[in-house]
Amino acid sequence: MSDPDRTERVSSTRLFRDDTKFALGRIAVFQYASVAVFLFLISGFWVLQIRDHEANSTLAERNRIKTVPLLAPRGKILDRDGRVIVDNQPAFVVQLAQENLKLEHLAPIAEGLHLDLDDLKATVKRYAAGKRYSPIPIKRDLTPAELTFIDSHRDPGTFPELELVQEPRRLYPQNGLAAHVIGYVGEVSETELNSSDFASYSQGDLVGKTGLERQYNEILKGVDGQRRVVVDVAGREHQVLESAEATPGQNLQLTIDLDLQAVAELALEGKKGAVIALDPRDGSVLAMVSRPAFDPNLFAAHIKSADWKALTTNPDNPLLNRAIQAQFAPGSTFKPLVAMAGLESGTIDENYSVRCNGGGTFYGRYTKCWQKGGHGGVNMHAGIVHSCDVYFYTVGDKIGIDNIAEYAEQAGLGKKTGVDLPGEAEGLMPSTKWKLRTQREKWYPGETISVAIGQGAVTVTPIQLATAIGGMANGGVWFKPHLVKMAAPTDPRRENWNPDHIAKVVAGMYGVVNEGGTGTSAAIPGITLSGKTGSAQRVSNDLRKSGKLAKDELQDNGWFVAFAPRENPEIVIAVLLEAGEHGNLAAPTARDVIKAYFDKKTRLSKIAQPSLALIQRPGAAAPPSVH
Amino acid sequence: MDLILNRYRNLTALVAAILVQLVLLAYQVKSNQEVRLIRVWAVSAVTPLARLLEGGRSGAVTFFKDYFVLLDVREQNKRLQTDLNRVQLENQVLRSELDTAERGRALSVFQEQSQMKTVAARIIGNSPGSNGRVVLIDRGTGSGIQPGMAVITPDGIVGKIVSSYPTASNLLLVTDPTFAAGVLSQKNRVHGTLKGTGNSNALVDYVQNEQNVEVGEWFYTAGDDRVFPKGLPAGTVTAVRPGRTVKEIFLSPSGLQNGLEDVLVILEGDHKPIPDLPPPGQSVHLQPLPTSEGDSADPLSAARSSGAQTDLDREVEHTRRIGEDQKHVFGERGRGAPDFNKVPAAAPLAAPSSPASASPASNSQAPSSSTPSSNQPRP
Repeated sequence: MSDPDRTERVSSTRLFRDDTKFALGRIAVFQYASVAVFLFLISGFWVLQIRDHEANSTLAERNRIKTVPLLAPRGKILDRDGRVIVDNQPAFVVQLAQENLKLEHLAPIAEGLHLDLDDLKATVKRYAAGKRYSPIPIKRDLTPAELTFIDSHRDPGTFPELELVQEPRRLYPQNGLAAHVIGYVGEVSETELNSSDFASYSQGDLVGKTGLERQYNEILKGVDGQRRVVVDVAGREHQVLESAEATPGQNLQLTIDLDLQAVAELALEGKKGAVIALDPRDGSVLAMVSRPAFDPNLFAAHIKSADWKALTTNPDNPLLNRAIQAQFAPGSTFKPLVAMAGLESGTIDENYSVRCNGGGTFYGRYTKCWQKGGHGGVNMHAGIVHSCDVYFYTVGDKIGIDNIAEYAEQAGLGKKTGVDLPGEAEGLMPSTKWKLRTQREKWYPGETISVAIGQGAVTVTPIQLATAIGGMANGGVWFKPHLVKMAAPTDPRRENWNPDHIAKVVAGMYGVVNEGGTGTSAAIPGITLSGKTGSAQRVSNDLRKSGKLAKDELQDNGWFVAFAPRENPEIVIAVLLEAGEHGNLAAPTARDVIKAYFDKKTRLSKIAQPSLALIQRPGAAAPPSVH
Repeated sequence: MDLILNRYRNLTALVAAILVQLVLLAYQVKSNQEVRLIRVWAVSAVTPLARLLEGGRSGAVTFFKDYFVLLDVREQNKRLQTDLNRVQLENQVLRSELDTAERGRALSVFQEQSQMKTVAARIIGNSPGSNGRVVLIDRGTGSGIQPGMAVITPDGIVGKIVSSYPTASNLLLVTDPTFAAGVLSQKNRVHGTLKGTGNSNALVDYVQNEQNVEVGEWFYTAGDDRVFPKGLPAGTVTAVRPGRTVKEIFLSPSGLQNGLEDVLVILEGDHKPIPDLPPPGQSVHLQPLPTSEGDSADPLSAARSSGAQTDLDREVEHTRRIGEDQKHVFGERGRGAPDFNKVPAAAPLAAPSSPASASPASNSQAPSSSTPSSNQPRP
């Protein structure tokens, strides 16, 4: 028989034992769970405090201490008298602070700033792959409305990632004035960043891209400064921790004279060509114009892709600096150098004469003179004055291509002048060696006939032509052309050219303008202007006859090269008019620029005389005492 | 089960609290809300109480005033005050339009102005944690209010909404240093940006020293900031002085002059029809832009219109006048070269800037157009 009390005791003991076991089991589970939670928390702390410590502390520091960049203005570009050609004007760049950036804000920001959303996203992605906290410049030049939009939305509650930084913007002359000389600035490219020359630059920095902006970038650029400030959560500045002011770039004083530059610019309005004026006494460039041109201000404000496309696809190639990059046959402007080669090599003297009947047969081929009826008996002087082709065919044939090449190269043709601008072209002065080297063929004497009148393989740039003729007129002394005063060469190149020979050729060039020659439209009363016209074919006779080209493509280039005064010239100028038909049409441009030069000289001398008197008065020796 | 819950009551409460926090945190992250939920709930919880208290306070005050003073006169006065406010708003809008455009258009412009969709709100206190230049109003997302919306009184602009909750919104006042709005002067049409200064005045930034602004002149909203519709009064100029780079213009904000109790939040501006719904995924309300009026969208032409020129531009213009005066076309045969020393009869002399020193120290950011002429005198 069972004892009910015992049974109750046993079951209560079992229950007690089961409850205890159950509780102990649950407590163990809870303990494990607690340990797991703590392990989870500790691993989180480890991530925050140890693994990402540096990044998080930087982030926290950047939240409290903000670095405000102070962008340095580039140096101004001034003319020879200190007048401003390129200035700076206050402008703003809007940046996105990566640490506050929220991707969902990009759409309204793009809308408010008139940006393409896809472009903006691509920019953000590109920068995100780079430096972690570097600000992302998204728009450089802002309209007043965009400026207002940024100011009214960059509060902490709206778009705290928007930052506005003052950045001086380049102010270039309007309508492409002097555009090719100056060049333009733009954001440093990926390719540039990968080169050692741009090692000190960062993404978004501005650098000179072409022209003087590029050539003298290191001088023009300044050193950016920065301010480290303590800000509150709303971004308000409370304390300046340190401030390093920006150092502006150095000003660049050019040899360009705005009085002459303005005349040359106006003379080429609506035309295609180039003007280059130099002082042959030191190589200073007084004026340089290339047309058509581009507006560098488009680049200063970050050029739009449509504008860039329009520039690069323009068949007239407005980005080409024709003054140093256009390589064309010089036509008859080459004849004075052929005459010099004849005289210097002793092949001819000034009395050497040729009969011109409107053409001549050379090496089995009849070649015409530009004057259908012929010039009759022609000596060297008349040959230059009237630009007689038959005279120079004959003389060139006598001199030979290598003699012509030797003296033309001495004058600087066929190689870069070394002007302080990037991208200068070399031109070409052919010779027997040149042909053998490049074409593995011998030179045919018939080719010399073409070169003797500045056609055939010979090509020059306007700056080469001006330098060559200027150095000849300067007595066989060539200075390297330069645009910046401090780049003035100290040591010119000299050739032992006979001054009498030079005088003979110069006399011929004087006659071109003043003795009824081909350049009479350049004559200026009272100024002994000497010059030489040139008309040069741009296409071969075969292509001309094919009828495949438009009329303006068939028209000859017009050249005019001139200097004044006749002795000890102070200015030499080369004018190229693409499809200008004849050099006589280019001559008035040279005339106007040279007249501006001498008018200014007169003006300054009138002003200088009384000033001189005033200056001399206090320092002058005391008048003799009268006793 | 009850036994377990009872036995581990504290632990259960702790676990439940943690779970709720985690769920809320997950919801916060998932919903990508800019404002923390706790803040939303706190504000939502406090707002009815604040509104109740404010209502009770103002009700009690009104009751005693109405009871003890003149009940009917006060009611009448309130009506008249409302009418006066409305007429003031109409009058100022008309005044602006009449001064700027044809008077015939002013009426229709005003009619459009009066079509603004607004919601009235009352200031119920300072925003918690703010420095006092952000206040709380008793209307929120439930009334269609979004961050970025403009807030006005009949006297002028007051500020903009910076955050909104179901029953309340934070209003950033025009005097806050982070506030900004595009403004135009009434008389001279000078464009600038109104900015708070932290005190009772505001300033108008980005106005060139050469531009003319007079003391007492009114500034109105320009409508280009995508917050305020165009043509609302912003304030009057109290002081003007030339600054280092731009003019310093101080303004007394007209919207705050008569105290701040009741305001209007603009739900739909009127310078252009706006979409029925805000763009998807856009967390901030952007007011459409007004039709342009004298403000160039192109920075280049904007710079040009402000007269930014270099000396080369001026020299070319001067030379061109010489040619025109002597009937000479440059680069053409004509009658020979012109006399460059002959000053054009009807034109003023070219005004090149003073020769800049070659030293970097002279490098100023100001355009050279502002510097006087001293170089290249022409006899």
